[in-house]
Amino acid sequence: MGLTARDVMDAGFYTLRPETPISQAVQAFRQAGRDQGQTVFGMMVTDDSGRLAGMLSIYDILLLLRPKHIHIWGEMEDLEVAGILEAACRRARGMLVGDIMTTELITITPDTHLLLIIDIMIKKHVRRLPVLENGKIVGIVYLSRVFNRLQDLLSS
Amino acid sequence: MPIIAYQNVLQGLTVQEAMRRQVISLDREAPLESAVRHCIKFKVNAILITAGEGQGLGVVSKTDLMGAYYAGLPIDIACEAVMVGPPLFCGPEDNLDAALDAMRAHRIHRLYVRDEATGKTVGVLAYPDIVGMLYRFCNRCDRRLRAKSAGDPQPDRFRVREFMTPEIHAHREEDSLNRVMEGLAAYRLGAVLIKDREGLPVGVVSKTDLILAYKHGVSPEAAARTVMSSPVRAGDGNAPLVNALKTMIFSDVHRLFVYLEAPANLVGILSLSDVARFRSGTCRACLVSRIKVDGGR
Repeated sequence: MGLTARDVMDAGFYTLRPETPISQAVQAFRQAGRDQGQTVFGMMVTDDSGRLAGMLSIYDILLLLRPKHIHIWGEMEDLEVAGILEAACRRARGMLVGDIMTTELITITPDTHLLLIIDIMIKKHVRRLPVLENGKIVGIVYLSRVFNRLQDLLSS
Repeated sequence: MPIIAYQNVLQGLTVQEAMRRQVISLDREAPLESAVRHCIKFKVNAILITAGEGQGLGVVSKTDLMGAYYAGLPIDIACEAVMVGPPLFCGPEDNLDAALDAMRAHRIHRLYVRDEATGKTVGVLAYPDIVGMLYRFCNRCDRRLRAKSAGDPQPDRFRVREFMTPEIHAHREEDSLNRVMEGLAAYRLGAVLIKDREGLPVGVVSKTDLILAYKHGVSPEAAARTVMSSPVRAGDGNAPLVNALKTMIFSDVHRLFVYLEAPANLVGILSLSDVARFRSGTCRACLVSRIKVDGGR
């Protein structure tokens, strides 16, 4: 059958809850990164029963930080904006994961072939895919892990 | 001999030069909860509702979501149940001035841009984008006021009170969210001031606060104080206009309450579009082409 999600997925993973504030979610990202030895850019979000409810990525957080009217003031080069990033971060801290998470998700199973995973990642512009087995989360596949495995194959 | 009816700074510009290419859309069957989340996440006031190959069927705005909350509709019903349609479209090659005329005529702040060949929505033309673009044009114009005032130690001599709307709608903090929504709908407002029993301003309830309350399952009979944003973002009416602009940008709000003498003495409201438009339009060329979508705030 060849390489599948089972061979490249991380079976030890962190999850967030929809009611978690962004300030805590970011701390969880940092902790997960330390534990996994690599920067974590996205995490799965689970509901009360542990089922997959969404994904929160750094892109979602960046969208939250982006000022609504940047298209207007971005043109105003004469405007002094020192401290604006700190102000945006203060506003974002209290928002909840469930308010900004992505719920339109693509999932795979442990038996999904590596080439199919690559195809999904390219077509859908995603860097991580939750792995479900009978509706239960069993892991997550990161683009970086896929690439690491490909590097081994390509260089051997 | 052709008669030139009018001339302005927008002449010659096409929609595709001002449109935004990121169109926030959802399938017709997506739940209202998704529409709320998209409004919050992408900081947009409306979502394009699509079907099939991405053809735009309608629009769900924050106002529509607020209406669903007011009507007691479950948040898991499909967007198509509350969408308003069909959306108004223009073409990427259309004249920008004509597109603005269409916005004015229909009293709306956005037009979707459709590629006629494919039928797909390729962009959205939002009024604030045009304001931003005008500012860029004016900043490069050698006739602009600020260029003339080079060397002037106080080029931003205009005061907030000169540009505010001297009218404030307020609710009491104990008023129900239903009542607040009635007020917002009646006066076509984006947000309303909340006062305490002594009449002092204590917060603001915006449509964004209300749709978040809808998502979080807050009862529409709950008091306004439970969801209001506090403190009230306000600026001194006698301060330079640029100060108000900075406060709005730092607070990421579209409007700022204006006080005179004391922060509790609110006398008006200033919108970011008004400030940006003014800063774009200080020369004669801009003044004659000043744009305003009536009825919108």
